[in-house]
Order: sequence, then structure tokens, then C-alpha cells
Amino acid sequence: MYFAGIDVGSTMTKAVLTNEGGELLSAVKGPTGPEHRRLANEVMRGALEQAGLQIDDISYIVATGYGRVNVPFADRQVTELSCHARGVFSLFPGVKTAIDIGGQDVKCMKINGGRLIGFVMNDKCAAGTGRFLEATAATLGIRLEDMGDIASKATKRVQISNLCTIFAQQEVVALLSRGEPLENIVAGLHIALASRVAALAQRLVIEPDLALTGGVAMNTGMVRAMRESLGRDVLVPEEPLLTGALGAAIIANEAYREAAEDGTLPTGTRRLEEATFFAEEDL
Amino acid sequence: MTAQDKEKRAINRLESMRPLRAKVNETYLKSVEAIQSGKPAVWGMLNFYYGDPILKAMDIEVVYPENYGAIAAAMGVAQQYLDRADAEGFPTHLCGYSLTTLGYASRMMKELGGEIPPEAPLGGMPKPLFLMSSAAICDARYKWFQALGRYMDAPVWTLEAPTPGVKEFFMEGYYDAMVTLGVKHLRDFVAFVETMVGRKMDWDRLDRITNLMIEVNRVWHEVNELRKVKPCPMHSRDFWSAMPAALFLAGDLEDSLRLYQDMYREVKARVDSGIGAVPEEKYRLVFAELPPWHSLAFFDKLAERGWSFVVESFGYRPPIPIDPDVMAVSDPLERITRFSLQFFAGYYEDARQQKVLGGAFAYPYLKYAREWKCDGAMLHPLISCRSASTHLPYVADMLMEKLKVPSLSIEGDIVDLRLFNTEDALARAEPFEETMDHYRMVRQQEGLDW
Ligand code: SF4
Repeated sequence: MYFAGIDVGSTMTKAVLTNEGGELLSAVKGPTGPEHRRLANEVMRGALEQAGLQIDDISYIVATGYGRVNVPFADRQVTELSCHARGVFSLFPGVKTAIDIGGQDVKCMKINGGRLIGFVMNDKCAAGTGRFLEATAATLGIRLEDMGDIASKATKRVQISNLCTIFAQQEVVALLSRGEPLENIVAGLHIALASRVAALAQRLVIEPDLALTGGVAMNTGMVRAMRESLGRDVLVPEEPLLTGALGAAIIANEAYREAAEDGTLPTGTRRLEEATFFAEEDL
Repeated sequence: MTAQDKEKRAINRLESMRPLRAKVNETYLKSVEAIQSGKPAVWGMLNFYYGDPILKAMDIEVVYPENYGAIAAAMGVAQQYLDRADAEGFPTHLCGYSLTTLGYASRMMKELGGEIPPEAPLGGMPKPLFLMSSAAICDARYKWFQALGRYMDAPVWTLEAPTPGVKEFFMEGYYDAMVTLGVKHLRDFVAFVETMVGRKMDWDRLDRITNLMIEVNRVWHEVNELRKVKPCPMHSRDFWSAMPAALFLAGDLEDSLRLYQDMYREVKARVDSGIGAVPEEKYRLVFAELPPWHSLAFFDKLAERGWSFVVESFGYRPPIPIDPDVMAVSDPLERITRFSLQFFAGYYEDARQQKVLGGAFAYPYLKYAREWKCDGAMLHPLISCRSASTHLPYVADMLMEKLKVPSLSIEGDIVDLRLFNTEDALARAEPFEETMDHYRMVRQQEGLDW
């Protein structure tokens, strides 16, 4: 039996396939873009190809992420908070606190045995999210993925006083024109974001182990800055972007068993193709 | 079943709530009629039973700008008033109630020369003879009514009120001192009103009205006590719809008493036959502070998930009934003062006994969560209202520490609908169920009985 989790995030869509024993068979990522359903479909097809499976081989599919309602071939939608909690627990069974920094949100979670027992999220503003780095990287004319390396060369960290993304963009332009070295500015940006996220996380009582996930956790500069701001070690999965999709696949496995017991297993054939033409259908 | 039917059924609304809800409309219509027939109308502020019975006894129609702000928000017309207040230079961090009505006042007086704006909901608020403000709860209230008074070119009387949660409030002898001060202050207020309307107070009428006010609130309290039962027979939506007749004394009091008694009977019948306001009640919640008036359908969506809101903030609930001996005084002004003080003192009794000062605000919520057997609290910090927001993180901590009841905090505003995102709020509500499930288990392990 095979299970799938698909996480349609604000920036990236991720699909994960596992077998009955929870072993990872394939994982595919792609940019979300404006057409969620079309992309969900393509990412899913990629994951199936990688694992050498057909859609009908999959026993249960759980969709998560903010675009989860746009995955017509999923059997169930589960919120990203629950999926992240489950996914991160499967990777680090000792985890009690997890921080997921995505493109447009940041989630701080308290986890107990894989269950979500408390959470806080950013409200109304992208200041504490990956968008902050993305926007300032664009202003500085550097690639997002190079920011960590650039920051590692800093001799000092420039204080960035604006947490508002728009004002921070103006501030970095002013710093550059003042002759501040790029690496010092980038290191300052990391610390500014990390302290904002740490302040949010402190609203929960942080208990170790603590894990950092989400796209921003791929940035080594942010991992360093988070360790410094929180004053403690943080665990980072090898593939921090996949945590939600992995949790969704684990929940799919559990949901399948529950449905088999209750006699409520999904029936009918899944039509992966159908999603491809949603735009025309909607016309 | 269509989506509309589903939404209709998500909360089993009380029939007896409807005539009580209509009382608010009646109040606004009466105030406009009063002005047209040469009778006085006044703009009042939520004053916790202090000034309202006096105005009622003097046959003065009262409308409440803060209630009107909520109505304008619920009817979707607040935005133009908010924009107008913005254009007048009022800072956007003032609360939505004040901004909406300042915008309204500006439109009425500066743009329409004193005419009620044609788009104003419920016939609008007519130009007042004077304004009755209250010092209770927040500092914005002094300045807001002062500013309204200037637009309206009308005098403003501010009713003083005790400040709970400070050291003085717990000192020996404070109660008697507050009663003495309160009665004196009310006498001055009566004299002011008499001068304004050119008539004398009818003290027998005030006596009757005072008794009715106390009885209306006692019955309303009893209705809410019935909500402790599982499944909860009445949802917070019905509470909010029905509360103005008790809280603002909207409409005729004898009629209100009859309607609250009807409501008691309907709720009791539901209790006796095990009927819940939410057909499949899975989670019982306390709602902290003011709801997003513009997005109340949000609660229907939560009801579809089995969430029942069984109790809400003490800031607008009826006072806990007072010992009849304390009320056995002949002077109606003293009865009014004691009744109003009971609102401020009664809810802090647990805190007073435990000698808690700064954290007193959390104690009513602890009582609610314990007695109404809540699985969670929904906190609604308002971006523009410190009084309804700053204590909420502390409330959340105390609920967790003492009772293992988790809280979900969703930021928003009472009037500005741009600040409340229903979809976002719902996305947080779903995972919160997992948290409530977990703490239900923890409470059982810790020997708490719900
Ligand atoms: S308590 Fe809040 S909503 Fe009420 S008047 Fe004060 S600031 Fe406005």
C-alpha cells in the first residue's frame, strides 16, 4: 500500500509518497504559481513517476497547505499546522517545539507525541516570514539561496531597525549607499528576522528539542541567526521544505487505517487528469 | 441541503431572542421620533447601569454611539465613516467605535448641516440635547465624547466609575466610600438633567425603573446560568443579540422583563429536553471580549464544526445578583449605585479573596472556564482597543496554568472589517481542535472534571 501527502504552500508545492511502513519513496517540489490545482497535479505526477507508481496505486492522499482545497484528487484536507507537527515528529521524535518559516507565514508549534498542543502564527504582516529575506535580497540584487554564504563572511552585523519589509528595503538601500559592506547588511537582515521570529516563539514556552523547518531553514545564515536569537540549538531536517507533505503522508496512512476500520474508505477512481483542465471547466 | 440551509441550521437560534434583538431598532426609531416631536434625545455611553435609569425615569430617549458603531459595522456602512474620521485627522489607532461615530458626527454636522445622513442605519442618531459619557473602562471614552460634543455643539456629562484591579479597589472601606461618592455624583447628575430638560425628576418613577432594571438583569443572569448545561442551550450569538435590553436598558423595561422571562422558559425547555444550540456540540468555548460584529457568520462556520460558544466576556454580562439585604435601601440613587458597583465588584470577588491585584481581570474567565466547562477560549484582541486586548495574553496563561484550558488568539477589530480575516481565522480554528482534544485528556489526568 502507498500513501501520498501533498503540501500546496504559498511559494512551493511539495509531494511525498511513502509505503505502508512509512518509508519515503519519492519527493518532488515545484513552484506553486497562480494555478494551484494544475501544479498540484503536475507535482503529484512527478512524485508518482519517481516512485514508479500510478495514481491508482495510492491508497489515500492527504492535501495540506494554504492551497489544500485546490487538490481535487485528495481524499482529505488537513491543516498545515497538524501536518507539520506530525512530519517534524517523525523526523525528530524528541521534538517539543517546532518553528516553520515559510514564504508568507511563520508557525511556532508545541508538539507532544506528534500532536499539536499549542501554536502561534504571525498576524497580518509578512515581516517575520521568508518574504522579508526574499524582498530584501531582490533589493540588494543577490540570490536568495546565496544569502547564507554571504552572511557567513560578515565582520560585523549591521542593525536593521525596520521590521516592516517595505521600510527594511529602503533601509538597506540607505546602508549600501553609506558604504556598508554587503555581507554585514545581509547578516543584519538575518538577525532582524530571527529575533522577530524568536519573539513570536517565546509566546509559547519553548522546550527542547527544537526544530526549524520550512523553506527559510535551508538558509544556513538563518539557522545560525535562529540559534543565536533563541540561545539554544535547533535541529534542521535534511529537507526542511518537505516536513508538511511528509506529515500529510503519515496522516494519510493513519486515515486509511481508520477508514478501513469504519468501512468509509474512498471509492471510485481518482482522476489525476481532471485537475489539469480546471481552468477550462471553470469558464 | 443547500449551503444556505446548512448555515441556517448551524446554530439553533432562540425564537425568544428575536423580539429582544428588535428592541435596539425600536430605540433608534424612538429617538428620531422624539426629536421630531420636540422631545429630548441623548447620546449615551455604556455606563453599567449608572446613568441609564435616570434618563429613562426622565423620559429621555438614549442612543449609544458604541452600539451604533457596532450596528454600522454589522450593516456594512461603517467604512465611509471610518474614512471620514481619517480625513478629519483622527489617528487610526483610535478604536473603531469612536472613529465610526466621529466620522458620522462629522458627516452629519459639517456636511449635512445637522441632518441625519440618509445612508445611516436604523434611521440614524439624531442631534442630542446633551451627551452622557462614562469614565469606566478606558481613557479613549473621555476624549471621544468630548470630541462628539464639539461636533454636536452639546454639553457632555461624564459619569465617574470605579477602576477595578487597582490597589485602592481592594482596600478596607472602599465599598462604602464608593457608595457615598456614587450617590452624591448621581444627585449632581439628576440636577444637570433637570436643568437640561426643564423638568423635575419623578422619584416614584425612578424607584420603579430601578427595580425593573435590577429584575431584568436578574432574569437575564438566570438565563445565562442555564448555559452551564451540556449541550449548551444558547449560543453567544443569541447572547449578543439579546443583551442590549439589559445592558443599555434599550426599550420599555416592563416589556423587556417579559421577554427575558420568555427567553428563560425557552432555554429551560431546551435544557429539559437536552437540545443544544449547536446540534452536535463537540467543543465548548468562552469568547473573550468584543466579537467581530461585521463577521458574525464566522460563528456559524465554527458551529458547523461542533463549536459552541457557551459564555462570553464579563464586560457586558449582567451583574451577579446582589444580596437583597444590600439592596434594601429606600433611596433609588443608592440602589442604582450599589447595583452598578456590583457589576464592578462582583466579577472580581475571587481575585479579591485571593488578594490578586494586577491579574484580577483573568479571574472571571477562570470561573467561566470552570463552571461552564469550557474546552477552549477564543481571544479576540482588538488592534484599536487596549482595554479589550492587553490582558488577554495573561488570561491565556492563567487559563492554561490553572485549568489546562488552551486559548486561540485571533486578532481583529470590532468595526474595521479589513482587520479580520474569516478564512485565516478558520484555518487556525481547525488545528486548534487537536490542541483542545489534547488538553481535555490532560485535564482528566489532572483530576479536573471536564
Ligand atoms: S473600551 Fe475599547 S472599544 Fe470601548 S471605547 Fe474604549 S477603546 Fe473603544
